[in-house]
Amino acid sequence: MIKINNLDFAYKNTQVFRRISLEFEKGNIYGLLGENGVGKTTLLKLICGLQKPQHGSVIVDGFTPSMREPEFLQNVYFLPEEVITEDTTPEKFIQKTGVFYPRYDYELFNQLMKELEVDLSKKFNELSHGQKKKALLACAMSLQTDYLFLDEPTNGLDIPSKALFRKVISQYCSDETTVIISTHQVKDVENLIDPIVILDKDDVLLNASFSKITEKIFFEYGPERLDNAYYTEMLPGGYINVMRNVNNEESNVNIEALFNAVMKNKETIKNLMK
Amino acid sequence: MNNTLDFSRLGKVIKHDGASFAQNLGLALIILWAIPVVMWLFASLTPSHAHMDAFSRIGILNTLGKILLIIAPARLYKYCNDQRKGIGYAMMPASSLEKFISMVFYCVIVAPIIYLAGALAIDSILAVIGGPYQGFAIADYFDKISQLKDMWRDKMMFDDEDYYLLSTTFTPTMIIITKVLSVLMLSSIFMFGNMVFKKRKTGKMIGILILLFILFMIVMVNYAANHENLFERWFGYMNEENAAEIIKHMIHVMINVSLIFSAIVSAVMLWLTYYKIKTQKY
Repeated sequence: MIKINNLDFAYKNTQVFRRISLEFEKGNIYGLLGENGVGKTTLLKLICGLQKPQHGSVIVDGFTPSMREPEFLQNVYFLPEEVITEDTTPEKFIQKTGVFYPRYDYELFNQLMKELEVDLSKKFNELSHGQKKKALLACAMSLQTDYLFLDEPTNGLDIPSKALFRKVISQYCSDETTVIISTHQVKDVENLIDPIVILDKDDVLLNASFSKITEKIFFEYGPERLDNAYYTEMLPGGYINVMRNVNNEESNVNIEALFNAVMKNKETIKNLMK
Repeated sequence: MNNTLDFSRLGKVIKHDGASFAQNLGLALIILWAIPVVMWLFASLTPSHAHMDAFSRIGILNTLGKILLIIAPARLYKYCNDQRKGIGYAMMPASSLEKFISMVFYCVIVAPIIYLAGALAIDSILAVIGGPYQGFAIADYFDKISQLKDMWRDKMMFDDEDYYLLSTTFTPTMIIITKVLSVLMLSSIFMFGNMVFKKRKTGKMIGILILLFILFMIVMVNYAANHENLFERWFGYMNEENAAEIIKHMIHVMINVSLIFSAIVSAVMLWLTYYKIKTQKY
């Protein structure tokens, strides 16, 4: 479990987080959403120990990440947005890296490479950006760490690759694995993530599972725009209205509409979800 | 699990770092090994048929070895503090101490030993072929001080008494300690520079050393200018009877000061390098 308590963090003169508290439960695939520059990557780096909080604490299964203890590091893997790789093949890379991870599975790596349709024999620098990303995803998943942090994993992937990405994440992540996917392309991770965390400048606007969201918020698909909706958007064939679930009705979460609704009604929805 | 030092994990780190050793340092080693070959070719082709004895060649090999010590950290661990490219290094499941030990192992031990072995082997091959290289550097390398003494004696610079003085001052243990500390100091300074600077790491560190040297010289010249009497008094004590003892004492003091200085600088630089590995943010 990841517990963030009263976290303050700033880069020189730019405040990123101010006294935020947040928890990530084990075994879920979290979607970490937010506009550009709100600190999604920074939050992942703080959880991984690549940055250190200026105030407050980040605790992952009892470890303080910034200490970078081997016992902690062997259970986390961070796949950054920018693909940087050595002049080697993914196979050699994973053989060199895998020895540090107790649950590393070479067979799984091969299987994932096949499923993601990446050429095993080619060096990283001979692969396209999307292919590199998929190869690194196969590497990351074959390590079978308890925590997997993916920063904008779908950037640069073509449409079939995005579908493959969703497939392997949902198929190969065990019930014990906690995955946090940071993205601003919410459609790419639809039907994959649950719960959702929405970050804003200095603040966490939402951290809730789909069931909790639909308990409080109703997504109405209808022919007209409703005045009492938090957010309304025109869709082919009608409108989607995001509104308070006053009648305890069931509905399906539309992540993009939810995100826009939260961004337009920050305090209202934050208080509603408490 | 021991989160500070585990020998099995240290072995993995050493293997991990070693996997890219040839790729990162290979070209630099080849260039450094090629320099004596080029010199040999040049000397062979010149009409003067200049000869180079083993002792002079050892000096050249040592200078090239120092260049290797200077460039090795930035070649082997170039990206370890890079905000983007260093993430893999930081997230490698090993302790900061294990990463540090591996870095020291490759920069201070492996790189100089591989260079020296190759350089002496190439020198031997060239000496066998003949031409301008006379004698074997490998034969004299570990007996450098007796070479120095013989050379001085040959040139009638020292009499037997001075030769005795030299022998008792530069003991083999002292030479080994001096050599090890000079390698450690140079390497540790540039390992620290590699962790502190993000770009042009070696150049910046050389610049800082030049600045420090200039500052030191300014201070020393000022001190000497303001304490002329002190030096006059020192030399005033010397006469024919005690000159040898005083010189011997001065050499001892200078060697000890230089050893203590090297040891302190090495220890501080190594500790700072370890601290940077441990606390580096990405």
